[in-house]
Amino acid sequence: MDDDNIFDVDDLNKIRVLDNETSTKTAQLKEECKDFIDKIDDFQTIVGGFIDLMDNLSTEVEREKLKAIGARNLLKSMAKQRESQQQQLVGLIHEKKTQLERYRIQLQSLEKTEAEQRDFIDQFILQK
Amino acid sequence: MKFKVSIGKKPQHDGMVSCVGWTVGDDLFSCGDEGSILKWNTKTGDTAAITKLPDGVYPADMAWFPSNVGGRQSASELFVLGTTDGKFHLVSKNGRFEKSVEAHNGAVIAIKWSKNGNSLVTAGEDGQVKIWSRSGMLRSTLAQVVALGTPVYSVAWGPDSEQILYACGKQIIIKPLSPSAKPTQWKGHDGLIMKLDWSSVNNLIVSGAEDRKYKVWDSYGRLLFASHPHHYPIMSVSWSPNGQMFAVGAFNTLRLCDKSGWCYSLDKPNTGSIYSLDWSRDSTLVAGGCGNGHVIFAGVVNQTIEWKHLVVTLQEEKVLLVEDVVNNTKDQLEFRDRVVKMSLGWDHLVVTTSSQCLIYSTSNWNTPLIFDLKGLTTSAILLARKLFLIVDSVQGLSVYSYEGRLICSPKYSGIRTDSLNVNNIAVSSDTLVLVDSRDSRAYHVFDINTGRELTDKPLYHSQELLTVALDQYGHTNERCLGFTDKNNDLFLIQIRHSNPLSKLKKLGGMVTTLMWHDTTNMLSALQDGRFTVWYYPRAVYIDTELLPQSKVYKDAGEFGKNPQIVSFLGHHCTLRRSDGSLVSTAVSPYPTILQNYVSKTSWDDAVRLCRFVKDGALWASLAAMATAAKELNTAEIAYAAINETEKVEYISYIKDISNKAARNAEMSLFCKQTGEAEGTLLQGGLVYRAIRLNIDLFRWNRALELAVKHKTHVDTVLAFRQKYLQDFGLEESDNLFTQYSKEIAVDWTTIQNKINMELENERGK
Repeated sequence: MDDDNIFDVDDLNKIRVLDNETSTKTAQLKEECKDFIDKIDDFQTIVGGFIDLMDNLSTEVEREKLKAIGARNLLKSMAKQRESQQQQLVGLIHEKKTQLERYRIQLQSLEKTEAEQRDFIDQFILQK
Repeated sequence: MKFKVSIGKKPQHDGMVSCVGWTVGDDLFSCGDEGSILKWNTKTGDTAAITKLPDGVYPADMAWFPSNVGGRQSASELFVLGTTDGKFHLVSKNGRFEKSVEAHNGAVIAIKWSKNGNSLVTAGEDGQVKIWSRSGMLRSTLAQVVALGTPVYSVAWGPDSEQILYACGKQIIIKPLSPSAKPTQWKGHDGLIMKLDWSSVNNLIVSGAEDRKYKVWDSYGRLLFASHPHHYPIMSVSWSPNGQMFAVGAFNTLRLCDKSGWCYSLDKPNTGSIYSLDWSRDSTLVAGGCGNGHVIFAGVVNQTIEWKHLVVTLQEEKVLLVEDVVNNTKDQLEFRDRVVKMSLGWDHLVVTTSSQCLIYSTSNWNTPLIFDLKGLTTSAILLARKLFLIVDSVQGLSVYSYEGRLICSPKYSGIRTDSLNVNNIAVSSDTLVLVDSRDSRAYHVFDINTGRELTDKPLYHSQELLTVALDQYGHTNERCLGFTDKNNDLFLIQIRHSNPLSKLKKLGGMVTTLMWHDTTNMLSALQDGRFTVWYYPRAVYIDTELLPQSKVYKDAGEFGKNPQIVSFLGHHCTLRRSDGSLVSTAVSPYPTILQNYVSKTSWDDAVRLCRFVKDGALWASLAAMATAAKELNTAEIAYAAINETEKVEYISYIKDISNKAARNAEMSLFCKQTGEAEGTLLQGGLVYRAIRLNIDLFRWNRALELAVKHKTHVDTVLAFRQKYLQDFGLEESDNLFTQYSKEIAVDWTTIQNKINMELENERGK
């Protein structure tokens, strides 16, 4: 390229400041840059999507974790509840048993009384 | 019996509820650790905030002023609150702090009014127990716990308000108020004792501790019952005001227990620890302050009462089920309000709710007689043959007829209505007996129709009375009261006699429980491990020797330890064992039949019955009844049947006396009623016989007095006196006799003539 020849004429006879080679290279660079930006954009959206996905996943996991803890606690408390229920039922059984025992004693004494009265009636009839 | 538990949806307090207390009405006050005091309306279940404590002050215990102390009802509108800063506060019903008093170093843990409301006891973290006057002046520091700094967690008054019960560590201590008296102290538990209570009705103590047990003691510190270890420490215990049961609170646990210790029911409400329990005054509801800020209410349901063929059960708070086991019918009775008390007997069911009284006849369950009650807190209903008695712990006693008419409202000065219970009241159709609430050796006798006391002063017995019971039949003037005293002696007293104490007779010792029969005046009792029936207890006034003979007994081993007689109806006696089971025993039907014959004066039938049965006890009771009715022929036969020859002889001698007054006098003499005999003779104008009676009994002074007074037979008295002195080789020592013997000459022939003349005159009359 000559120093005095400031302007250049390209193949399509257009005057250019840059020489042809540079110009095509610039254009090429521009293209590549554009490509790169596009790719970066793409990448960003993909990564964004991924992050979202991950976030979702983490909340999901968190929730599940809480659920699991809750369930475990529930299980534990259920065991306790069962225990107290069991205690109450044992207590109830005990009460019923003692009540039964009381009724049994009452029945026994009533039967005894009945027998006594029968004896009395028999005796009474015989004496007459 | 069991609890019906109700608990709010969400806690009304933000902190744990450390204390609860019932007012005279049906309201409950509760204090939470966040410092607020709430009032609960049990009818609607609403709460209202009353006041707030200053910041940093936590409530520890509260006590309402006792409901009725000599009628000063206005004074009962305040309660006392102990707080953790060592003060106690007198707080009015609307939450105004009337007075705050510095009481202890460290917290005031427990606080209680005495039963009569005169004093207040506080127990603190510093291990001191202090007595305060009603207005908050320090009276005395009662106890300085040996190991200083051991907090006293619980304190209670004795039944007579003369003793303090408190817990220190594992020790239970009873300290009388008088400074010189020695305290009783024993190790109660293996862990720290958290709560104690002492019932004024049955005199028993219940304690709960960190060793997870509750125990029942008598007032001498003897262990009556110890529970199995629970899962959690016992935080609270409380006697019901009627002394029949107590409640026990622990972590998520509420128990209802019988007074002998065994458990009626167990509930596992979600409450956290139940720190304090308080019964409503009618013993139907218990409230508990819970660790999670709840206040739990538990009503007592499923009580059952039986009478003859009827069984009445409280199914729910407002529903009664009446079962007739003979016809196998069931009736459900529903009420507008909560049922407070019910009582069945004498063909009537009497039910009191929180506002009304309903009287059902057992023949008709549809149309009760209803009237409104004055008082709100019925503590007992006692039935008699023609009337019944409602005991209200605030208003006192009211006697109604079964037609719903108010007959009277008896009271004596200084009556403490909250101390009235079935053990210190006896009622019959014409007479009412109340044991004095301040001094249980004294008892007041009322005429039911007038509602007035028969004597100006109460009658006094040498020992404290434990139980009293009146017989229901016979003439009003011969009404007998049977009672047992502190030594477990059984006495009979003709309560309406002009001089009742002269008619006080001991029937026997070692008697724990007694009951009169429903249709006759038979008396049953448990005496020294034997079930005893006196066919005719009034025999004690006629011929004491007949009493042991007219008594039958059988071994009471099958009834277990310390049973109570529940009913004595027809030919059955029902007893309640200490484990709560009912046992019955048969009693011969003959004494009932015999008493029926006697009350209809069909003596021939009575004699025939006795001849048929051939039972000594029956003959003995017939002898007593015939003698009481002055039916000499029957008495002679009956005495002959039990081989009392000398008495037969004497009766036939009496039969030969023609003069009626003389005969009656001899009968009185036969019953060892010399005063009465003399009175009868003098009234009948038989002065000679009266004098002779005294001579025969060696009551020389009285004989001379009578002779001088009636100006006759002075010489007879002197003659007999001389003879007596001669026979015994004695010298005259009485001045009166020496004086008269100087004035009057003694001549046996004239005396003999005079005597014969007298007897002649008598025959002529």
